[in-house]
Amino acid sequence: MCLAFPVQITDITAGPMPMGHVAHGDTIVSCCFAYVPEAQVGDYVLMQSGFAVEVLDPDAVAQSFDAFADLVDQGLSSPFTLSCS
Amino acid sequence: MIQHIDVHQIIDAAPARVVVTRDTTGAVQEASFDLSGLPRVDALLTGRPVVEVPGLVERLCSICPAAHHLAGMRALESLVGHSQMTPTAEAVRRLLHLGSVISIHVVGLIMTHPAEALVLRRFAKAAMAAAGSPGHFPVTGVPGGVAAPADPAQRDLCAQMVADALEAARRVAAACMSAPVPEDHFTGADVALVDDQGNLDLFGQLLRAVSADGTPLIPGARAEQWDELVVEAVPGAPAPKPYLKALGASSGAYRVGPVAQLRIGPVTTPVAQDLQTVWLAGAGGASSARAIVMVHAVEAIAALLEAPELVDGQTGHPWPESLPEAVGVGWVDGARGLLVHRYATTDDGRVRVATILTPTAQNEPWLADLLRTAVEDSSGDTMRAGVEDAIREADPCLPCSSAPAGTMDLEVDTVSIDTSLKGL
Repeated sequence: MCLAFPVQITDITAGPMPMGHVAHGDTIVSCCFAYVPEAQVGDYVLMQSGFAVEVLDPDAVAQSFDAFADLVDQGLSSPFTLSCS
Repeated sequence: MIQHIDVHQIIDAAPARVVVTRDTTGAVQEASFDLSGLPRVDALLTGRPVVEVPGLVERLCSICPAAHHLAGMRALESLVGHSQMTPTAEAVRRLLHLGSVISIHVVGLIMTHPAEALVLRRFAKAAMAAAGSPGHFPVTGVPGGVAAPADPAQRDLCAQMVADALEAARRVAAACMSAPVPEDHFTGADVALVDDQGNLDLFGQLLRAVSADGTPLIPGARAEQWDELVVEAVPGAPAPKPYLKALGASSGAYRVGPVAQLRIGPVTTPVAQDLQTVWLAGAGGASSARAIVMVHAVEAIAALLEAPELVDGQTGHPWPESLPEAVGVGWVDGARGLLVHRYATTDDGRVRVATILTPTAQNEPWLADLLRTAVEDSSGDTMRAGVEDAIREADPCLPCSSAPAGTMDLEVDTVSIDTSLKGL
């Protein structure tokens, strides 16, 4: 299924395929911003497979985190590793 | 069924992976797209209060939240036998759905038609805001109806954008219809939602299936009949290889999405109908089909905005305090095609079994067919270009599907098998 996770933009390098980085917890990962030309540093975006696919407002970020946290409450081994029995 | 989801696997860049199986002579036996990067969350829903499921799924599977929101609401309502909404609830939900269809299709246009994408994205957002959902996650639907009628001021704002949006969608359609179309020899059925006259209806209540030559296989079935219509050959798998039960596993393959939507029956809005006629008489193709469906969605929204029930009327039916032990099925025909939510519940209103069948999962057999055609009799850069085109055509719900030509992060693995050993 088309899972996506909210991450925060730390930097963007402009260009035909704008690239940059996002923060996910303490981890910084590379991200392509081609589909969200309106995105700015500090924004939260939904990320899937190395691409930012949507800029999120703070409410949506909280809702998305809550949904994943809800699964974490089912007894998961780390904050961002989800599992079921 | 999945045992765990690692968020790094969701966000980290990963190439689209295609596996080509060849025999010892080099002939292609099969080609497939690896869907393991799109795990199903069905098993994670077991035991939860069923009324919470639509909200949870739309926030996890957040690329198409409105489609999950609406299919989930319909599945809940199916549990208690509600199949008819009030006119206001039906109109507001339909507005949300049509706006959502445009907003998803726009992602694929941002790099190829940026000016049109901007106009259409604003229009889609305005439509969804008028339907009560200004943010990414919809709040339009409530079990039994909608939270409120459309806001008249938001409706008027959206109406002011119709002409520009329609012109933008027409320009995209014109460009797409003159572009080359990948070879497509798919012989399976087309499946989409229709109204009671057999016309395409992206928010319809009836499922229609037609064969490759246009013969109706399922004239119009209701969601409650779902278990008699489609079977997953590999239940719960990311690529479950579903098939039409009446035709059997060997010949029941089908596809969903814009190509199926245009082949299923007449489009009822005038500009899109003219484009559909040209499309059906020509080479077809998914990119132009997506554009024509967008034209249709803009026209359908324009008509909805003039409906008095959109902004005034009863918002829904009363919702019971407790839910029965039952099976409920809800669906919508989204940007990528049919999305189905099926909830089987216990007598205390919790999920016994949930099944979420996405368009990407349903289109995997079609994509495999396109890939096989692309890799047969080709090699090197030619094969790579063909594989990219095939992926773009079937449009799995991954960002790579929207990458411009030549830029798709793609990994093609070849597996050799000795067919002489078959049956040993």
